[in-house]
Amino acid sequence: MRKLWLVAMAASFVLPRWAVAADWQPNAAMKALYEKAKAEKEVSLWTPAAIEGSWVNAQFAKRFPGITVNLTADLQGATKIIAEARAGRHTVDNWTFAIGGMLEVQKRGLLAKEDWAAYGIDPKDTFFDSQAAATHNFIYTSIYSKAAVKPADLPKTWDDFTDPKWTGKLVAQSFLLPRMMGFFALEWGPERAEKWGRTLINDRKMLIINSPAEPYLKSGERVIAVGESISLTHQYQADGLDVAYRTLDLVPAGQFAVTVLKDAPHPNAALLLAAWLSSDEGRGLYEKEIHEADIRPGSKSALAAEIKQSGAKVILEDLNTMAQRAKYYEGFSKMVRGQN
Amino acid sequence: MRLDLRGALILGAGALAAIYLISAPLAMLLAAAFRGPDDTLPFEQGAVWTWDNLVAVYGDPALYTNVIPNTLVFTAGAVALGFATAFILAWLTERCDLPFRNTIFALILFPLLVPGVVLAIAWIFLLGPNAGWVNLALRDTFGLAGEGPINIFSLPGMILAQGALLVPFIYLLLTAVFRTMNPALEEAASMAGAPPRAVFWRITLPVLRPGILAPLILATLIALEQFEMPLIIGLPARINVFSTRIYYELNPDTNLPAYGHAAAVALPFLVAGLLLLLVYNRLIRSAERFVTVTGKAYRPSRFALGSWKVPALGFVALYLAFAMALPIAVLLWTSIFGYRPFSGGLLSAASFDGYRHLFASGDFWLALRNTFLVAGASAAIVTLIGALLAWIVLRTKLPGRAVLDVLSFMSIGIPSVIAGLAALLLYLSLPLGVYGTVWVLVLAYSYRLAVATRSSRAGLSQLHHELEEAAAVAGASWVETARRVVLPLLAPSLLASFVLLFIVGFREFTMPILLQSQDNLVLSVVLWNLMVANKSADAAALGSLIVICVAPVIIFARHLLTGRTA
Repeated sequence: MRKLWLVAMAASFVLPRWAVAADWQPNAAMKALYEKAKAEKEVSLWTPAAIEGSWVNAQFAKRFPGITVNLTADLQGATKIIAEARAGRHTVDNWTFAIGGMLEVQKRGLLAKEDWAAYGIDPKDTFFDSQAAATHNFIYTSIYSKAAVKPADLPKTWDDFTDPKWTGKLVAQSFLLPRMMGFFALEWGPERAEKWGRTLINDRKMLIINSPAEPYLKSGERVIAVGESISLTHQYQADGLDVAYRTLDLVPAGQFAVTVLKDAPHPNAALLLAAWLSSDEGRGLYEKEIHEADIRPGSKSALAAEIKQSGAKVILEDLNTMAQRAKYYEGFSKMVRGQN
Repeated sequence: MRLDLRGALILGAGALAAIYLISAPLAMLLAAAFRGPDDTLPFEQGAVWTWDNLVAVYGDPALYTNVIPNTLVFTAGAVALGFATAFILAWLTERCDLPFRNTIFALILFPLLVPGVVLAIAWIFLLGPNAGWVNLALRDTFGLAGEGPINIFSLPGMILAQGALLVPFIYLLLTAVFRTMNPALEEAASMAGAPPRAVFWRITLPVLRPGILAPLILATLIALEQFEMPLIIGLPARINVFSTRIYYELNPDTNLPAYGHAAAVALPFLVAGLLLLLVYNRLIRSAERFVTVTGKAYRPSRFALGSWKVPALGFVALYLAFAMALPIAVLLWTSIFGYRPFSGGLLSAASFDGYRHLFASGDFWLALRNTFLVAGASAAIVTLIGALLAWIVLRTKLPGRAVLDVLSFMSIGIPSVIAGLAALLLYLSLPLGVYGTVWVLVLAYSYRLAVATRSSRAGLSQLHHELEEAAAVAGASWVETARRVVLPLLAPSLLASFVLLFIVGFREFTMPILLQSQDNLVLSVVLWNLMVANKSADAAALGSLIVICVAPVIIFARHLLTGRTA
């Protein structure tokens, strides 16, 4: 396992972080759509956080000049989309979110069903009967302070965190940890996942926080953040933290998708933007710009290759198991917050 | 004082505006608490009237074994600590001959400008059990092993952090009260041979009662509602209080935000507000007893601290070091060095990229303009309406004035998110053309009448009505009397209210997130976006710029205050 991990790490340095889709070109249907979309001049994109879409306008303009992408970041965008629909006023064209977070809007019939295949998107990369298309994954990992943890001491599996040597050294976000435990519950069963979480919190004195782990790692208050994401590692590094991520035996991954709202004020531009974000070029840019890679089967991402080489098992968020996982992590959330 | 037609129209307009601004969020709060099920929003088709939210919230045993006891201890502790500190600071700067009073006034208010998250992180840097600077120093000095000895992640830690956070709020309101107090009664008692302690307990405190009660009540409700410290410092200790419960309901693990549950959790805030108002009204029933500004001229005098000057300055310095200097140092440091610790080669890592990114961003400049506009306009509107309401309640016998008093006070029990949701629904439906503009934020922010009404009422109760009667006898109209007699004397209270509301508006985050569009971006939303993106240097740079932007407002307000009473 250790050998595999070393191979993976070496590969991650050798392979360019973004090595795909350089030759991607819009197909005829997309070119025709662009001609229609140009007249609309703009399109509004809603994302859960600004970083998710901060790069989109500049990159989209390079590929499709003349259409401005107006970005709005709102974690509770679903409320506003539902409220606007009820009032018959529509300001949102596109929405990107985790598929679990889209569910309430989708249930209300507010998402447009699209022919994604016409724009080169594989039907297996779509959700909700073609109402959304995959863009990237939220890949759970652990982030450690390179100065405080020797490579030989690093855990190899998630279970290794239960070792007493980690007492008082771990930190986890109250939002992310239960969600990751939900994936573990699918793999291990809920009892084992809960026992693992309780051991970390009660015995290993893991610090539960509601904000980024960055200052806790920087100040030395804790040395390993459990249940963070690979993209966060890069953000922390960009802030000057000497940290790295550690791929363990399981790699849980949430699914993010893009959708077009049924009453989008700029329907052609909205479909064009959504199809481009879900294309090889769009997915590649997610990885290049914000380190949010697509590691779904068949992905051309360098990170997907790295994870595959490590031998870790990827657990993807899945529409079939989504409800079950949600039920698990609701219970784990209460435990993590000290509510039961 | 006789009310003429023009005066009646102005007061009537103020009363109607107050009813309009408060009734929508209040109705939303009350309705949402009784609308369900969980997977529908309160206004949607399919939502029905139900008790389910109340049952879900109040049928949970953890509420009684965990949340309520924690909330009571946390609130009582934080308010006691914050109030005692603020009272001493206000007394020293307003009633004593403490040096550097104007500078100290501005410095005490600075923490109001620092985002709550930064304040919490500063406390963790200081008192974190493993790597907190104070703990490292204590372990080093006394040769202690293990973690601690002080742990900020505890109930006392939460009380300390929240208490420090409350000090500027309470201080600002108390200074206005101290400033309008005529010291003649104290001087008379002293001349009659009463020792200073007796003067303080038997004269000063009773005379200040209405002015003290208002900030005390507001501080209690703020401690109940604010969730930054409980969330960042309390969560690691897994201590839950009412405000964190509301936060969790609005950020659920699945489905939509549980507005119904959040409203049900918030209902006790309304009840607490009403009870506190009743207590307040009962305690100040004989308003005339608290009048200290009459037709007779007075000149505020200050206690000579004498040999107590140095200890007093030491107390102020200690407070400022922990509550002001440290958070601002963390903010400035992070804006230049990120989260890098102090080291020899640090200067080479200094970067002003955070500031450069902001100045190059169109969003920043738009948000800066919008924030000043929204915070300034809403603070002005609320202060004006609050003053009119206070006058109606205290100076007229109009039927329904008690209802106005209650209504205005209840606004403090309405969480921002509920007010934001109400504004979203109202202005989506009304064809006023304000949805998506900055004006929707001005209207949404302007429901917070409790602060302005309490502050104006406290100030007005210290003014004898003979002043207004004298003006009327001299032939002045109601408007002239208000403009030339009442408003100048109320200026300290009005300015305190305006500054407080301006700062609250500047920091407001929940409503602009819910009502945001491309055109009405404000700085708190930009800050939030930067923090979520882990751009800590950019976020800290923006936090530093907020301090720099608002500091002149505080200094200007102080200048106005000192000018008024000089």
